[in-house]
Amino acid sequence: MSDVSLETGRRKQPAEKRRSNLYFVWRGVLGDPVARIAVGIILIFFLAAVFAPWIAPWPPNEADPSMRLRPPGTPGHWLGVDNQGRDILSRLIYGARYTLLCGITPVVLGAVISVPLGMFGAWYPVAGAVIMRSMDVLFAFPMALLAILLAALMGPGIGNMMIALVVTLIPYNTRVVYAAACLERDQAYVEAARAMATPGYKIILSEMMPNVIASSVVYSCTIVGAVVITAAGLSFLGLGVQPPTAEWGIMTSEGRNFIFNAPHIAAVPGLAITILVMAFNLLGDSLRDSLDPRTRLMLIKRRK
Amino acid sequence: MQILQFTFMRMLSAIPVLIGVTIIVFLAVQLVPGDIALSILGRMASQEQLQALREQMGLDRSLVVQYGIWFTALLQGDIGTSLSQQLPVAGILGPKIVNSLILMAGSLVIVLVFGFLLAVLSGAKFRSMTDRVVVVITLVLASLPAFWLGIIMLYFFGFKWKLFPISGMYNVASPGGFWDLIHHLILPAAVTAAGSVAVVARVTRSRMIDVMAQPYILAGKARGLKRSQLVLRHAVRNTLPTFASIGGLQIGYLFGGVIFTEIIFNWPGIGLQVYDAILQRDIPMIQGCVLVVAVVFVIGNLLSDIAVYALDPKKG
Repeated sequence: MSDVSLETGRRKQPAEKRRSNLYFVWRGVLGDPVARIAVGIILIFFLAAVFAPWIAPWPPNEADPSMRLRPPGTPGHWLGVDNQGRDILSRLIYGARYTLLCGITPVVLGAVISVPLGMFGAWYPVAGAVIMRSMDVLFAFPMALLAILLAALMGPGIGNMMIALVVTLIPYNTRVVYAAACLERDQAYVEAARAMATPGYKIILSEMMPNVIASSVVYSCTIVGAVVITAAGLSFLGLGVQPPTAEWGIMTSEGRNFIFNAPHIAAVPGLAITILVMAFNLLGDSLRDSLDPRTRLMLIKRRK
Repeated sequence: MQILQFTFMRMLSAIPVLIGVTIIVFLAVQLVPGDIALSILGRMASQEQLQALREQMGLDRSLVVQYGIWFTALLQGDIGTSLSQQLPVAGILGPKIVNSLILMAGSLVIVLVFGFLLAVLSGAKFRSMTDRVVVVITLVLASLPAFWLGIIMLYFFGFKWKLFPISGMYNVASPGGFWDLIHHLILPAAVTAAGSVAVVARVTRSRMIDVMAQPYILAGKARGLKRSQLVLRHAVRNTLPTFASIGGLQIGYLFGGVIFTEIIFNWPGIGLQVYDAILQRDIPMIQGCVLVVAVVFVIGNLLSDIAVYALDPKKG
């Protein structure tokens, strides 16, 4: 990297077109070795989930009582065997399906509801006041607790758990969208559209939406890790995915009863959660840095 | 005078939020599939009991009337009757809240002390070796599920190395006392704190980095101030409002962790109570626990907002 290229880069800038957010994601995230490793880890878990029936050495619920509690390294059972004699590696591979599904789906659905809610609120001040005050009330509940309340009253099960998580996530994402939409609302291009008598819904959908959605996407990516933990936690409490389904939270919960004789039963799935969450957190951080106007130019210049 | 005014205004603004909280906790019961009276009293209830409860709750009347009845009882300290124990929920929860608050206070101390130390250590010198190490530590801490970390800590510190007791608040055999409590507290408090330490350290660190780039720090450097003086006397003070507000936000997050650590370390608090209530489908108890925690959370946020205001060196 030389100062000269920086100089010319700066001089050129006024003539350059506004670069799309995608450009910054591309250069920022994929140019970052740490983020590349994170993407790699997520991809491995994702492929394991998709191809579970082909790569898992055993069916997830096939129990061999004679092998109960065998430690990792047992031939044929690399990660050991659980309290019922089921192969932990196979359950881990099948469990990746539920962990990824329960971590990502609520975030996506939450964003799908939050984006219109936040933009609508920013455009119509009265609706905005009502929406944001309702969100304040939801903020009064600690995140995990609201999810527990809703999931517990609706009854255990994967569908109800996801609904509970979506409701819990809406206030956070809506606040982000609302803040971004309020900034965009005062931009010159919106004023221009207004001056041309473009109807409100058209301005929201085709003018503001593309600029607002980026912030929601970035925010969503940064919370996937937290949602994976919360979803696994709800299953750990018995509110989410139900046994005997292979899911990492349930596996940890079942292993808790055997912690003193066979610590690996709880240790292995929890470690898998930690690694996956860490990968999502790294990717989220990198994505946020590459889309933040304060840091993104610096990141790209540094990596040139 | 100004701080009193701020406190008063902030307290007023908490009232509608608290009322909203009661509405949500009240409406949540509507999510229960099937007959609400049957769900609350359980299958063992007789027709007369069911009818009596329906009349008492006004289940045949409109939701607004039902809320009115429920809210009036709430103001008199009646949060309902536990299904599993046949006792008033408020009476059962009283001592449990105290136990949970002890655990929360322990973890909050850990969060604030370690979060702040890590932030100052790393933020004082951006991209130094210490900074990089702290960033990695916070990344790992932020990614650990509390329920798993608890099990692992229990195994190593409680079972294998026998440094800490593995369950409960006091040693039943010994007379107990303050130090016994602290001995029981350290492990669950540390587990509860882990994620929040990371959040507080990261946010305060980035504020610290911003502050260290301010002109007045440069001016201090030009005047020949020592690095330690610059950091401790000038920079740290300006990170305090950020630190206090992110620290205050952790109160709610800690409650989420407390539920899991109480289950794993068998700490007789509100989290363990919620877990028992979930297993027994004790709906009034779940409602009561959530309501109490939400109210404590709103009050905690109120106090932290006031602390943020009081700590800000730039206020009017």
